[in-house]
Amino acid sequence: MDAIRTENLTKKYNLGWGRGRLLALDRLNLRVREGEVYGLLGPNGSGKSTALKLILNLVWPTSGAAWIFDVPCDKVVSRLHVGFLPENPYFYRYLTGGETLEFYGRLCGMRGALLRRRVAELLEMVGLTAARDRRLSGYSKGMLQRIGLAQALVHDPRLLLLDEPTAGVDPIGSREIRDLILRLKAMGKTVILSSHLLAQVQDVCDRIGILNLGRLVLEGDVSQLLKDQQRLSITVQDLPEGARGAVESAVAAAGGTVVSVEHPETTLEDLFLKALRKDEGGARP
Amino acid sequence: MSGARQEWVGFSLRRVWAIAVNTLTESVRQKVYLVLILFALVLIASASFFSQFGFGDAGEQGALEQLKFVKDFCLGAISVFGMLIAIVGTAQLIPNELEQRTIYTILSKPVRRCEFLFGKYLGSALLVLVSLLVMSVMFGAALKFKGDNYLRVVRETVERAGENANLEEAARQTERIRAAVLDADLVKALLLAYVKLALLAAITLLVSTFSTSMVFNVAVALLIFFSGHLVGAAKERWAESGAARFLLALVPDLSVFNVADDVILGDAIPWGYVAKVMLYGAVYLAAVLAAAQFIFAEREL
Ligand SMILES: Nc1ncnc2c1ncn2[C@@H]1O[C@H](COP(=O)(O)OP(=O)(O)OP(=O)(O)O)[C@@H](O)[C@H]1O
Ligand SMILES: [Mg+2]
Repeated sequence: MDAIRTENLTKKYNLGWGRGRLLALDRLNLRVREGEVYGLLGPNGSGKSTALKLILNLVWPTSGAAWIFDVPCDKVVSRLHVGFLPENPYFYRYLTGGETLEFYGRLCGMRGALLRRRVAELLEMVGLTAARDRRLSGYSKGMLQRIGLAQALVHDPRLLLLDEPTAGVDPIGSREIRDLILRLKAMGKTVILSSHLLAQVQDVCDRIGILNLGRLVLEGDVSQLLKDQQRLSITVQDLPEGARGAVESAVAAAGGTVVSVEHPETTLEDLFLKALRKDEGGARP
Repeated sequence: MSGARQEWVGFSLRRVWAIAVNTLTESVRQKVYLVLILFALVLIASASFFSQFGFGDAGEQGALEQLKFVKDFCLGAISVFGMLIAIVGTAQLIPNELEQRTIYTILSKPVRRCEFLFGKYLGSALLVLVSLLVMSVMFGAALKFKGDNYLRVVRETVERAGENANLEEAARQTERIRAAVLDADLVKALLLAYVKLALLAAITLLVSTFSTSMVFNVAVALLIFFSGHLVGAAKERWAESGAARFLLALVPDLSVFNVADDVILGDAIPWGYVAKVMLYGAVYLAAVLAAAQFIFAEREL
């Protein structure tokens, strides 16, 4: 069974008063298998959020259709096992973090001790236990993002739709979110996330689809897409300076060509994380 | 969670209630609301200080007039502040949800749009109810304070007169003052005031389902509120014209809910009338909410 299936899903937004219509999504055919992490990539305005909103029936397709676990998405019951994190989420400013999660839990039919336990668990999971009794009007952007993630998870859904889950979150936080997504995947959940931060998507997603101007221009397994079958890179440690020539000639002797010899770079993200990890005791918000 | 597949999600009052409580909590924590209700309470409490304490020149009649003044003033304040709370508290509910996109997080859960809308309405109806109850308690306190004051004046007069006191007259005065304070018809006036405000909140909600401008919503709601008070008179005036009667029938006749004047003048309000007017309000309310749901269901977010 597919977690999500769309058939020629098309959305044209009315721009109103004779300004015509904007094609935001053009005949999207998507299949997200149960248990996989699917990344929806694309530049700004390419239709990622529109696709997610169509799947959740928040906006209505101009043509085409979508199904969640084989239930047509215009049925309320299709959203029974779905958690959604909107982009730049805002919540009720006058509620505290704890109250917010309790409210969303009630909407999903939870209550009593079970609900309270679940809320405490989620706050712990997203690292907001200390901010439990603070009102959301005083939350930072990253904290709102985390409460949004907790809100999406409140009823332990089988499918998660995350619209730019790491937007506005610091590098440690975004690594935590990445780990969380991997944990969810290990639990057998299906995750579909949108992003334009390619590096982050790379190590969580099983498959990605790239949207441009509303059209799906590329789709496939991440490992397949990123593997360069012709090349092989060898990383060597503690090689004496003089021995380099010997290695290169050995490669040449075996019939290969040395394309480049360099010191591997670490990513800026790694560097940042290492620097912060050294500065131990830095309390999380 | 997985396993047995649920095929249907029914209308759930529990979800409606969760949304209503959330709406109410949001509203009462807003400064606008707190300022409004505090101002109303101060105004109502002050009613008993505006008027003089003694019987004054007009004697007992003056005291009864003063009590009438307190009732008139307080019921008026309750009506005006109730109206402000009903309109301001409701006009922003849907536009805020859309603008801040909190509605996305709600409707992406297994929540029906009608549950959302009715929950929002119930929340603002509860807000009006709570406000009205708080203001009524303050009104009752102001009235009792004033009445007790006059009862004391009666007692002191008797004590001062000593042997010559007209005990029968004093007993009659006490009785009349008590009756003026503990007027059961005040409850009817407050009840109908609530039904009127609940209807006004529903109309405001209906307006806000097709407009996102807070100013527009408040203006239209105020317009309907005031024309609703004039429509009764207009109906009498244009009783012959069919078209006019049809148009006027669309505007709720809010003047039927205003029994405060009669109560103050001491005219009895039969329960039959109260029931009839409440039924009118309930039918109108249902129609307005149905129209709001009809529009909201078709609206893209
Ligand atoms: N309600 C709307 N009315 C009109 N046009 C809209 C509306 N919502 C989105 N659009 C347009 O549809 C296109 C796709 O928007 P969408 O939000 O899906 O992009 P996105 O891929 O999520 O972009 P981003 O990375 O910036 O979040 C954009 O050109 C946008 O301007
Ligand atoms: Mg987007």
